[in-house]
Amino acid sequence: MSAERPGMAADLRAKIDADYNARRAKALAMGGPAKLERRKAEGVLNARERIDYLCDHGSFIESGLFSTSMVPEASDRSPCDGKIAGFGRIDGRDAAVVANDFTVMGASSGATNGRKIAHMKRVATQRGMPLVFLGESSGARMPDHMGSRGMGALLGNDGAQYQRLREIPWASATLGFSYGSSSWYSVMADFHVMRKGAVLAVSSSLLASLAIREEVDPQALGGWKLHAEVTGFADRVVDTDEEALDAIKRFLDYLPSHHNMAPPVRPVPPGSGDGMADILDHLPSSRTQVYDVRKVIDALVDRDSFFELKPRFGRVAVTGLSRLGGNTVGIVANNPLVKGGALDVDACEKITSFIVLCDSFNIPLVFLVDTPGFVIGTEAERRRAPGKIMNFMNALALTTMPKLSVVLRKSYGQAYLNMGGGRNSDEMAAWPTAEISFMDPQFAVKVVHGLDPDAEGYAARFGEMSRASEVWDIASIYAVQSVVRPQDTRDYLLRMLDVHQLRLTHGVGQHMMRAWPTSY
Amino acid sequence: MAGVELKADVTGSVWKILATAGQQLAPGDTVMILESMKMEIPVIAEDGGTVAEIRVTEGSPVTEGQVVAVVTG
Repeated sequence: MSAERPGMAADLRAKIDADYNARRAKALAMGGPAKLERRKAEGVLNARERIDYLCDHGSFIESGLFSTSMVPEASDRSPCDGKIAGFGRIDGRDAAVVANDFTVMGASSGATNGRKIAHMKRVATQRGMPLVFLGESSGARMPDHMGSRGMGALLGNDGAQYQRLREIPWASATLGFSYGSSSWYSVMADFHVMRKGAVLAVSSSLLASLAIREEVDPQALGGWKLHAEVTGFADRVVDTDEEALDAIKRFLDYLPSHHNMAPPVRPVPPGSGDGMADILDHLPSSRTQVYDVRKVIDALVDRDSFFELKPRFGRVAVTGLSRLGGNTVGIVANNPLVKGGALDVDACEKITSFIVLCDSFNIPLVFLVDTPGFVIGTEAERRRAPGKIMNFMNALALTTMPKLSVVLRKSYGQAYLNMGGGRNSDEMAAWPTAEISFMDPQFAVKVVHGLDPDAEGYAARFGEMSRASEVWDIASIYAVQSVVRPQDTRDYLLRMLDVHQLRLTHGVGQHMMRAWPTSY
Repeated sequence: MAGVELKADVTGSVWKILATAGQQLAPGDTVMILESMKMEIPVIAEDGGTVAEIRVTEGSPVTEGQVVAVVTG
C-alpha cells in the first residue's frame, strides 16, 4: 500500500504546475518564433539573449515575468509588456537591468512597462547597484497614449522619471531603432554605447518625414556617426550586440556600485610601466610638431587599462577611464595630433561631462597637458566658447576628487587654468620639456614687441620669451610643485595618488555636481 | 569610385603640400601640413588611395571643414 501524501491533492499540484509552466512559456516566447528567427538571421540578439550575455550565468532573477499590457485587448499579445526587467550579476556584482523586447509591440512604452522601469530604478537607487538599459523601442505606444485621457492616465505620473542625481551608475546601449524614452534613458546615462545600424532619435524617421514633409534617412537622423562625431551622445560605437554588452561590462568594471563607495581595485597586470623608459619615443623633437597622446597614456597606465570615452567627438582632447596601480583613475589629455591639441567647444563639453562622471563616482583625475590654448575665432564664439570654457572651469572647481596635473609640453593662457594649472589641481607637475606662458612666444613677440618673424631683432626676442616660458621659473616660485622626468611619471603619479587619497571619507567625494545636466 | 574629401580640421593656412595629383597614398599618409596656433597640423589620408585633386596652394588660408584635397579609393 503506498503512503498517502499529506496536504494538497496530486492532481491539483500538477494543474498548478502545468498552468504556471504554460504561462511562463508564453512569456518566454516573446513576440513569437517568426520575429525571433528574423532577428537571428540578421545576426542581432533578442532581448533575453542580451540579458544572458550581459549577466553572469544563472544570476538573473526576473521581475514581472507575467506582466502584460494594461489594455485588456492587448494583454494576450504583450508578454512582459515588451520590456524585460530584473536583477542580475555583472562580473560578480549586482545590477538592475531593463531590456527592451522589440518583438513585442516594438517595445513601445506602456503603463505596465513604465512601472517596471520605475521599480528597477527605485530598487537600484535605494539599494546601491548600477542600472543598465538595453534600448530598442519604437517610442510611446499607440493608441494607448492617444487622447487627453490617454495622456492623463499614462504620461507624467512619475515626477522623478527623468531625474538624475547620479547615486548609481547608469549604462545604456542603443541596439536598434530607439525613440522616445529609450532615447531619453540613453542620453541620461553615464555611459552609452551604440551598435552600428542602430538609430537614436526623438522620434522615427517616418514621423520626422511627416512633420517636415521631406524624406529623412534614419542614419542621418540618429545613426552612430551622428552621435559619435557630432552630438557626442555615443561614448563608444561597436559592430555587434555582443561588443556593446562587453563595453557596458568594461565600463562598469571601473566604477563603484554606488556613489558612497570607492571604485573597485584590480590586480596590476604584469608588464605595466614597461614602456616608461621609452616614453619620449612618442614625442617629436620639434615643439611645433604633433603626436598622438594616447601612446603616452598607454605607456603610463596599467597595461591595457585605458578605456577611451567619446573617441570620435571633441578629438582635440582624450578622455577615458583607466587604472594606475590597480586603482581607477580618469585621464584627461590634450591630443596634439588633432588641431595641435587646441581646445575647442566640443572638447570642453566632453571634458566637463567626464569630470562630472569621475567626481560623481569617486574617481581621481589625472590631466596630461599639451595645448597651445583654446581655439579662437568667430566659429568658436558662435558656439558659445566662453560659456563652455567656464562650465569646464566650474566643474574643475567643484570636483572634490584628487586632481593631478602634468604638463608634458605646452600650456598657455586660459587653457593652463582649465588643464589644472595653479591651484586648479591638487598637485602640479611638469616635464623638463614644458613651456608655460600666457601665449606662444611667436605670438607674444608680435604682440609685445610688434615684431614679425622676419623682422630684425625677432630672434633675440623670441629666444628671451622662450627661455622665460621654461619650467624652471615657475618651479622656482613653487607654482609647479614637481619637475618630473618623463620616464619617472608613472612612479610619480602612483605615489601622488597614494598621497592624495581621501582618507577622511574612505575615498568618497562630496558630489557637488550630482545634478549637473547629462548633456547641455 | 567616389572620392573621399579630405577636410581641414582647423582654421589656419596651408604650410606645405606633400602629395601631388595622381600620387598613390598608403593609409595614414600625410597629404599636406596646415599651420594653425603655431602648430603643424597634418591632413592625413586615413584610408589611402590615389590623390585626385589638391584644392589649395601653399600659403593659402583654410577654414575648418574646408575640402583641401580629394582622394579616390
